[in-house]
Amino acid sequence: MKQKSGEKDYFERFTRWKMIIIFLVLALMLTITFAVTIGPKPIPPLDAWRIIVKNIPFIGNLVGDGSSGVEYSINQLIILQIRLPRIIAATIVGAALAVAGVVLQGLLRNPMADPYVIGISAGAALGASIVIGLGIGFSFLGIDAIQLMAFIGGLITVFVVYNIARTGPRVPMLTVLLAGIAITSFLSAIISFIMITLGESLHALLFWLFGSFTLSSWDNMTVTMPVIIIGLIVIIIFARQLNIMLLGEDQAQQLGVDIEKLKKIMLIVASLITAAAVSISGIIGFIGLIIPHIARILVGPDHRILVPSSALAGAIILVLCDTAARTIMEPVELPVGVLTAFFGVPFFLYLLRKKKSLVISG
Amino acid sequence: MVKLNINGVDCFYGSIKVLEKIVFSVEGGEFVGVLGPNGSGKTTLLKTIGRILKPQVGTILLDDIDVYVMKAIEMAKKVAVVPQDTSVTFDFTALDLVLMGRNPHIGLFETETKEDLAIAKKAMELTNIWHLADRKVSELSGGERQRVIIARALAQEPKVLLLDEPTSHLDINYQIEIMDLLRELCKKKKLIILAVFHDFNLAARYCDSAILLNEGRIISIGPIDTILTDENIEKAFRISAIVKRHPITNSLYVVPLCTSELKSVQPRGLKVHIICGGGTGASLMRILLEHGYKISAGVLNVLDTDYDVACTLGIPVISEAPFSSITEEAHKANLNKIDNANVVILTDAPFGRGNLRNLGAAIMALEKGVTTIAVEEKPIQERDFTNGYAQASYMELRERGAIFVESYDQILPILEELEDKLGFMSKVQAGEKNEKPQNNL
Repeated sequence: MKQKSGEKDYFERFTRWKMIIIFLVLALMLTITFAVTIGPKPIPPLDAWRIIVKNIPFIGNLVGDGSSGVEYSINQLIILQIRLPRIIAATIVGAALAVAGVVLQGLLRNPMADPYVIGISAGAALGASIVIGLGIGFSFLGIDAIQLMAFIGGLITVFVVYNIARTGPRVPMLTVLLAGIAITSFLSAIISFIMITLGESLHALLFWLFGSFTLSSWDNMTVTMPVIIIGLIVIIIFARQLNIMLLGEDQAQQLGVDIEKLKKIMLIVASLITAAAVSISGIIGFIGLIIPHIARILVGPDHRILVPSSALAGAIILVLCDTAARTIMEPVELPVGVLTAFFGVPFFLYLLRKKKSLVISG
Repeated sequence: MVKLNINGVDCFYGSIKVLEKIVFSVEGGEFVGVLGPNGSGKTTLLKTIGRILKPQVGTILLDDIDVYVMKAIEMAKKVAVVPQDTSVTFDFTALDLVLMGRNPHIGLFETETKEDLAIAKKAMELTNIWHLADRKVSELSGGERQRVIIARALAQEPKVLLLDEPTSHLDINYQIEIMDLLRELCKKKKLIILAVFHDFNLAARYCDSAILLNEGRIISIGPIDTILTDENIEKAFRISAIVKRHPITNSLYVVPLCTSELKSVQPRGLKVHIICGGGTGASLMRILLEHGYKISAGVLNVLDTDYDVACTLGIPVISEAPFSSITEEAHKANLNKIDNANVVILTDAPFGRGNLRNLGAAIMALEKGVTTIAVEEKPIQERDFTNGYAQASYMELRERGAIFVESYDQILPILEELEDKLGFMSKVQAGEKNEKPQNNL
């Protein structure tokens, strides 16, 4: 039995948490650098960063012009218009899915939960398939029809699931889970039906369903990026209360947590960021299920560190997967969802074996 | 001072009424036990007060404010709950869990301060678990976990503590330690403590007053000494029990005897007279009674343990004044009882000049042809205080054909055999024939 001074240890942990965050931020920077430079036309890392920093408002002026000329312009175009939007999209989508996974696993106290379990993916997919099936094409505030309908479809589904599960002022989370699974099956049937009737556009829908960043641009992130960033901040604010929720609803309430309010806020925020993520990239699996577990194994169950480190880890993994998706079979591009599963699952299983038990909650 | 008023509360699970017309009030500094059989509504009562199960009728007022109107965080500053089931399987450390008790005192945008940590540490030191601070809760034993949860409740710095069997997983030493601590806090900080107990003796020792529940209603409420009576216990639990004041702790203690159902077991024909003394006959009397035999006893001195037991169990007993020798009169009455009996059992009581006549009575029984069983768990040499007279009487018993057995366990089979031999109708069901585990009183 070790007998340490828990007092000192306790505050040391905050320092340790800061170190973890700094480490992960650096790792993310490195990953982005790597991702920016790799591609059909390799770009030296220093040039890449010069171009990126130069284009950040205010700070940009502090950087020397460096090389200019045709080469520089081409690189600038590739980075700013092709690679960077896609990398930033992967970053925020990865962070959003991982954090939504953490929140739902915590709220449902179920290690099998992921951001899609309450029906968002099926609703979003239905929205997308309707647009693709009917061949609608419009654009609003830089958001195209598929994106908009996916976002709306996801949110409507969660709204329906939530209201099916609600009894009076209370929302039993087990009912949310079951209703989510049922609605998902139902919507999947409709999507399958639409897929059969689709002719040539089937490929477009399939690619969307597997998840892809091919179509990412700055424009389609103007609304979704702020939604995700604000969502992540809200979740971090409630992190301590999420810890207490793990004790079960009765005990959480008796420790002063307004459980119904917390559940409502967390469900809304998790749904918003998931719907936003899905609207950018389509349905990317495994990130929202596996990253929370990996992070939990590495940093522990406390949401105050679990949420930010999941966000950063999700971002890193998804950027790496997307880079692999667009480069390993060049010029053919793979759906990123295929790679997240292909690399994510073995790594997860390795950690699982090493740790033996996968404990999340009561 | 904090005040808790429960005003005519009715509670339902679905359509099943689990609490009915609950009315009582408690003030700071009072330690109240909630007693009652399983399913009587004890836990439900705590849940209702703890703002988990809203009553359909009635109100629960904490300092004149309805707890169901209060915000969760306001409530948690005043009321802490230690639930019955404290199993947790996640990876938080004991200190993490205790610090969660500080939640009501920490704002949304704040984190724990040094002061919060100091309060958590104090609570853990009081419950003797500070050395477990860095251990994962999932790896602690049931008792350690229970003390962590109690520490968490203390870290809340509540005015009211609701405890559902707070010591059920604890070893006896920790039971006493935790209860002493709770009682001290109750008195010093003027807390209201409302605790569910299964153990009457623990309740008797620590509670000021008690609420006795049965089938969702209060059947008795008041100072603990007025609640713990044999009638109340029989009413609520349907067992007979003896309630006595313990000479050392000066609190009441309860000894359950047998269930009322057993009392009405099929009576048997065999009449048994027991010659005992000094407590050697007490458990035998209870067991025989439970098995439906008709019993008498004698001669016993008033104040003898066996005399008390016989009176409590309602067994006819031939008695003699305290600390005096058996008189001719009592002896004759005893012989009369023996005449009426089919069997005489002689326990391994100590014999002195005063009760030597009881051995004579046993010999008389054999002379009259009454079957006599002598128990010798302890040999007569060790309990003969008559310079050999008693040993001589035992020799005579042996010669005259008394059945000697070495343990009390052997008595029941012999009695059953006799019952069959004497041709009594044995209506006892097969199940009853299985010997009950014998608790020696």
